[in-house]
Amino acid sequence: MGGLAVSASLLVAGLTLDRTDFLRWGILVLMATPVARAVVVTGEMLRERDWLFAAVSLWILAVLASSVYVAVGR
Amino acid sequence: MVAVPAVLLILTGACTGLVGALLGLGGGVFLVPILTLVLGVPIRAAIAASLISVIATASASATVNLNRGLVNMRLGLVLEVATSVGGLAGGLTAAHLTHRQLFVTFAATLAVMGVLMAARSGRRNVIPASEDVEPGLLGGRLREGETTYVYRLKRLPVALLSSLVAGAISGLLGLGGGIIKVPFLNTFCGIPIRVAAGTSTFMIGVTAAASAFIYFSRGDVSLPLASAVCLGALPASLLGAHLSDRVHARYLKILMAVVLLAVAARMAVAGL
Repeated sequence: MGGLAVSASLLVAGLTLDRTDFLRWGILVLMATPVARAVVVTGEMLRERDWLFAAVSLWILAVLASSVYVAVGR
Repeated sequence: MVAVPAVLLILTGACTGLVGALLGLGGGVFLVPILTLVLGVPIRAAIAASLISVIATASASATVNLNRGLVNMRLGLVLEVATSVGGLAGGLTAAHLTHRQLFVTFAATLAVMGVLMAARSGRRNVIPASEDVEPGLLGGRLREGETTYVYRLKRLPVALLSSLVAGAISGLLGLGGGIIKVPFLNTFCGIPIRVAAGTSTFMIGVTAAASAFIYFSRGDVSLPLASAVCLGALPASLLGAHLSDRVHARYLKILMAVVLLAVAARMAVAGL
């Protein structure tokens, strides 16, 4: 929820003040929210020693990481 | 690009976010056609804005749904693996299909699902906990008021296949994939509609994020456009997630059936 609040605040400020950099960061924070959630879920599975679902969660993190890697590489 | 008033974009995001959160969708199925056909936004910018709006809707809804125990995390994780594979395969498959074949196939699938959902809207996928049934590895428990129910996942291959297809269409059309996942999970796989919707909101945010980073890096995201749509979607999807608890499951299914048939008609027109 904190990430969404930060994102919304940046977007409001960006549109109100016509600041593209605020908008860019607001969108990036928003896009990072599912990634952060996947990290938290992975940590929970590891803490519970649920190795099967920890591996599944790590796969999903790897897919997201590869997407970010491809995007950054452009 | 056509300059669209921010207020109009915020309202559009709010409407799609509200309905999306009620049904476990990201809202992209409505948003892309509205942006392109009604507001004149170029298709790439519309898809990019839609993906980011899906993230906003999914993230806000998931916050509420997680607190209510409506997200089956383990089921969501397993299905998300299939979705990610679908996303990779989707690009390869789409290259061999014509525009018409893609849209007509999608429209036919949604139409059949809409009819099935409407016809089966009175059925429930829950078992009273008093019957002492175990939920299994990918099932779970659902609390409605004072009563606790158990549900079990049926037909895992069907659930995986639907997630595979959802992943394939996600990046191509700017959708989160909930429009495929929720009806299949509820109609064929024994998942209660609220859990299907709640779990979908968890999954589609991840799905959309994987594509959104690519669109962002290519410069396809119109920052003012996406920002205004998201500012409407964020509070509206929170409201929608809260409201879904007050709507009878049967009416959620009927609403979903209406949405499926409307989108099917729209896709058929686009493809023919």
